[in-house]
Amino acid sequence: MSQHEHDHPHAEIGQSERPGYYDMMETAVRELLIEKGLFEAGEIRRQIEVLDSRTPALGAKVVARAWVDADFRARLLANGRTACEELGISFYDDTKLKPYRARAVSEPRAVLAEFGTHIPDDVEVRVSDSTALVRYLVLPRRPDGTAGYSEEQLAGLVTRDAMIGVIPVTAGEAGVSR
Amino acid sequence: MSQTENLLKRLPNDIGGLPAEPIQRVDHELEPWEKRCHALADVLDFHKILNTEEKRRGVEALGSEMIGKLTYYERWIAAFANILFQKGILTPTELARKMDEVAARWGDEPPHPPA
Repeated sequence: MSQHEHDHPHAEIGQSERPGYYDMMETAVRELLIEKGLFEAGEIRRQIEVLDSRTPALGAKVVARAWVDADFRARLLANGRTACEELGISFYDDTKLKPYRARAVSEPRAVLAEFGTHIPDDVEVRVSDSTALVRYLVLPRRPDGTAGYSEEQLAGLVTRDAMIGVIPVTAGEAGVSR
Repeated sequence: MSQTENLLKRLPNDIGGLPAEPIQRVDHELEPWEKRCHALADVLDFHKILNTEEKRRGVEALGSEMIGKLTYYERWIAAFANILFQKGILTPTELARKMDEVAARWGDEPPHPPA
């Protein structure tokens, strides 16, 4: 190892670069509020763990359950929140970027085509836009040829894009669960 | 419809139906500070200090230029700061000093003279 490398030790991951302006603003706001006793540092840490536990796999579980359990499917479509809570799930992410939000309502077929999904003319397209308080999960159609699949195998087929309704679910590689 | 009428009828976040670029399919892995910012929003909501509806209005109040130029979580933290100022929970001076203190941990000279 050269002297040069000794002079420039690798910084720890996550601490290697000087944070940006908004990063420092977040740190400053958080620390000030903690100093004022409005909440504790541990609450932020615990909430980050909650955020880290939220993945598209949770939604896939909901979809697969709806495919195998007609009663659950009915409850899910009647009240998405309470049905998800039955499975211990409470929240979904949305599609936030401007081109998607602007164009999806006026030219959904063109937007879907950019995801590789071509909707036949005789299929109706309905667009549901999230608000600050409302999130949508699209319950996709169960693909053909999956009659013998277990709930877990079915969940393995469901992707994030399928749950925002921009691609169909396909049986693909024999339902390998992920 | 006149130009200014449109400004009243469409808030900056109300972009449904406007022309826009092709969809870019990027999986955005949140940066650590973005995740902390999201957690901060949840904790502020839980303690009834700042709720989702206030956050939405706070972001819209940034105006269309900032909404267009700041990223998603940049808009959030900027809105939080403004709302906390309005509620009298923080002052702009306090935040400026604290940001100097945070920057100093990275060897920056303070841009604002000490109090």
